[in-house]
Amino acid sequence: MNLSWAWLFLLLATFPWLLGVDLLSDSIAASGVCLFISGAAIIAPCRRLRRWQAVLFSACVGFLFESMRPIPDGSLALLLVLAAIYLTSHRDEIRDMPKMFWAAVLVNGLACTVWFIAAGLAHLKEVPLFSLHFLGQWLLHLLLATILAVLLLVPLALVQNFAMDKIGVPKPDEAA
Amino acid sequence: MDNNRQGAKASYVALVFFTGLWMILPSAVRRFNREAFAEFQAPALHLVGKGRDLARYWELQSRSPEELVAAARDLARINAALELKIHSLDDARKENTRLREMLRYPQSTEFVTVVARVSVRETSSWWQRIIIRKGRSDGVRPGCPVVFGDRVIGRVSVVHLTTSEVDLVTSPGFRCTAFLEGDDQYHVVHVSGRAGLALSAPRAMVSIIPLGYNPPAGQIAKVMTTGLGGVFPSGLTLGTLEAGVQTTSEKHMQTGALTPAKELSFIQEVSVLIPKYPTAGEILLTPADTGKAEEFR
Repeated sequence: MNLSWAWLFLLLATFPWLLGVDLLSDSIAASGVCLFISGAAIIAPCRRLRRWQAVLFSACVGFLFESMRPIPDGSLALLLVLAAIYLTSHRDEIRDMPKMFWAAVLVNGLACTVWFIAAGLAHLKEVPLFSLHFLGQWLLHLLLATILAVLLLVPLALVQNFAMDKIGVPKPDEAA
Repeated sequence: MDNNRQGAKASYVALVFFTGLWMILPSAVRRFNREAFAEFQAPALHLVGKGRDLARYWELQSRSPEELVAAARDLARINAALELKIHSLDDARKENTRLREMLRYPQSTEFVTVVARVSVRETSSWWQRIIIRKGRSDGVRPGCPVVFGDRVIGRVSVVHLTTSEVDLVTSPGFRCTAFLEGDDQYHVVHVSGRAGLALSAPRAMVSIIPLGYNPPAGQIAKVMTTGLGGVFPSGLTLGTLEAGVQTTSEKHMQTGALTPAKELSFIQEVSVLIPKYPTAGEILLTPADTGKAEEFR
């Protein structure tokens, strides 16, 4: 199989997980919280994909989240691209499972913060950026994003690794 | 390893360059990008919605025939009552048309109703919206009112080919004028969604309530659309005004919270009211596109 399209096939394998989390958000819609996993979804691919592939994959994951929500264009996608560039150039930092967990928590939390602030900038007139309301909402979303990253990283990484094995993407050691 | 680090530096430079380019790109490019990713997800959203419908179908299939017979009997009674109502409304409509012609009063906006199933609900502190399984191909346009019965659900904010995003009444982007039940002078008040608190029911805000307004004793005041502006038909229920209306700091108006007319987080089906002719707002926004207005005529 042509490895140039590995990122696209991997995106198709990851998409059901992103949709699943959206449905989970849907089922708790009355609570007013948005669950988020896109940041953790780029960790396993960044271990094995080439840099340009990881960048494309991360950008698409970011744009998928943004496309159906009133978030400023590109704010999340560009952050995920930045994270992908960093992770693919420091692969030793996501070599084993504990490090992957840390990376997933950090990237997911950071990405959650970025989209939350970017979306909130449109409502600065009614909710000031440095207010208890804003801080409370942000902490709640951050907490949920962190928990979800820890809970879903292993099954998500298993599916993504399985997909990459099938496509023929080299193992982490060979990719480095 | 050095090559890897050098490649990373080049990637950072490229990212900075691309970010700058992204910011100065025409908004049409960004809109196209957003639209492309939304269309990528649309089939999955349809599939989810249809899956839910199928589950509901099998749930109904499991009901006993006695239950279905009872439901059909109730529906027949409701139909009979509604037919009577239609006849009386028809007489009122004819009378209304005659009076309008006599007074040369402008015709009110006419709507085509499109029923749509809800695919996904999206809520956060900054937005409360639903995605429905009807889009541009079904004639849905941005700004169309979305209702359930005589209750307002929200307004279409973004339209894709086969799906649309609807801002709910409680979403911060929602704005509407309204009348309050019990206000004999028909003062116009303003209803707007507001950024919500997570883990609590979303609310909208009713502002510019006159100081002299008192809700009808012993009952909850309904908030109804005015029909001004031509977006929402008049007389639709937006919700109810909660107790505890407060005077503003300037002491010349009051504000209160609005509870939506329908439990918005559990709604499964809505009706989109599509104006038969372009609204004033649509015509103003597309001054050069006269061909489209002609097409509507």
